[in-house]
Amino acid sequence: MDKTIEELHQLLKEGKVTSEELVKESLQKSHEVEEKYNAFVTILDDAKKEVDTDSLLCGIPFGIKDNYSTKDILSTGSSNTLKNYIPFFNATAVENLLKAGAIPVNKTAMDEFGMGGTGTTAHTGIIKNPWDPTRMCAGSSAGSACAVASGVYPFALGSDTGDSIRKPAAYCGIVGYKPTYGMISRYGLFPFASSLDHCGVLTRSVKDAAIVVDAMKGIDEKDMTSWDSSNIHLYDSITGNVQGKKLCYIKELCNLENYQDAGEELRNHLQNFHQVIENFKKSGVTIEEVSVDQKLLDALPSVYVIISCAEATSNMSNLTGIIFGPRGEGKNINEMMKDHRTKGFSPLIKRRFVIGSYVLQKENQERYFKNAGRVRRMLVDTWKNIFKNYDAVILPVASGPARHLDSDKDMLEKDTAVLEEHLQIGNFGGFPSITIPDGFINDLPVGINITGNVYDDSNVLNIAYALESTMNYKNQIAKEVKHE
Amino acid sequence: MSKFTKELVDSLADKLLIGLSPEENQMIIDEFDIIDENISKVDSFENIKDIEPMTHCLDDFTFELREDCASESVPIEDLLRNCEKTEGREVEVPKVVGGEN
Repeated sequence: MDKTIEELHQLLKEGKVTSEELVKESLQKSHEVEEKYNAFVTILDDAKKEVDTDSLLCGIPFGIKDNYSTKDILSTGSSNTLKNYIPFFNATAVENLLKAGAIPVNKTAMDEFGMGGTGTTAHTGIIKNPWDPTRMCAGSSAGSACAVASGVYPFALGSDTGDSIRKPAAYCGIVGYKPTYGMISRYGLFPFASSLDHCGVLTRSVKDAAIVVDAMKGIDEKDMTSWDSSNIHLYDSITGNVQGKKLCYIKELCNLENYQDAGEELRNHLQNFHQVIENFKKSGVTIEEVSVDQKLLDALPSVYVIISCAEATSNMSNLTGIIFGPRGEGKNINEMMKDHRTKGFSPLIKRRFVIGSYVLQKENQERYFKNAGRVRRMLVDTWKNIFKNYDAVILPVASGPARHLDSDKDMLEKDTAVLEEHLQIGNFGGFPSITIPDGFINDLPVGINITGNVYDDSNVLNIAYALESTMNYKNQIAKEVKHE
Repeated sequence: MSKFTKELVDSLADKLLIGLSPEENQMIIDEFDIIDENISKVDSFENIKDIEPMTHCLDDFTFELREDCASESVPIEDLLRNCEKTEGREVEVPKVVGGEN
């Protein structure tokens, strides 16, 4: 299970290993990882191969984030409000992987309904980072990132509304890819903020990410925002040739002098970023500095909170405990629903719902919700203008390696660095965006992100593959740091 | 002094059918203050009101009405599988009209 999909496929094809052996090993690792890091909601001990196909994924075990509906398998979204919920259908993305012959072995824990960035709000408890259990995985796809980094399997599904695939990937030293909005059907994915939600994958190599998304994607009549991508072949289009490609980074995010009182980790992270891109230039790419209005960047975190909370408030009004979910107590139906929601939601979720409700009140819409939509357009237009001259934007992920578990309660603080949140622009514009590991700070991995224009996924993955090839972090498995 | 009060937050939560602890209420007020401060800065952006708010990722999104044809519906038994209280093919709830308020 410490091998890539290509390698496992070759071993299966040559008869050197069977899918039964792979599943057995993956399940054994699942139980070990659950014991140490609390990464799963459900482990499917009876997992087995259902179909034989020619797909590279046939016979390969994988994990499914618990906000994907899985037929006859518990799907909680890591929330007490759905702690016993068993769907009667598969999400389209899951169904596509099953058809390819991939074998789900567990459902991974996550921040409740994807609405957190720490991996600390799952109803099953905190998900720990496999490189250092005193640190967080980030979220919300925390269990998926933890499991892939621990070598449980070569890939796990994630979802990404702000940076929920791409930040955990950085904190866990692996690859996280969310394709262009609508390339993968969202049918069966528990909705958080529909205009920002993306399906995607966590892997340990860029090629593996391409293989998996090739199998997950496709137009789906059950998701009206999905589109026909049958002419896009991500895996086949990876050549590694990036001669003549033009990239840029954002000055305001990447230059150390913009950060007063920068700590050691941030300094090292940015220094490493500049070294990595300098080295990448030897592959034939041009990388230039671009400047973006700081005032516009500063608005990003609040604008994201406003839009995502507003959409979430509406999307999750169906969680009442009446038609599904545990029944609340009360004399009448309103009391029952309030009891269900009060006891079922974590404090973080409640906070987000109240904010969402406030900004949607008629008298507040103009100031908050509509202005947030305007800033969203300004940011997206700024990035689209950049893409007129550049193939992609390359940026460091977050402000350093994984944060300590007691350092962040997922609160929007006054000094929130835009550096922590800039990946949200990829959700505002639906841009294809991939994080890969680019180094270590204090023995902990850090990540770098490449984001391109919509529908340009092949180009983005090819650039990421070329960059990955200049470093030695492909397919790495987490090694726990030793504390003195 | 924040323009966001405990009463306002409790009233919003009540409409959402959510109960809040005093700590949860205070956290929301604190976050509101930060959002409000940041949004005040947005108001100063040049020509901000002339910009059409963005509500969807893709500019070239096309909507097509599907043919209106009957398709297989989900069996009621499947829909009721996750409901804790049912009566026959229906969801059981306390009496709504004329019931306890």
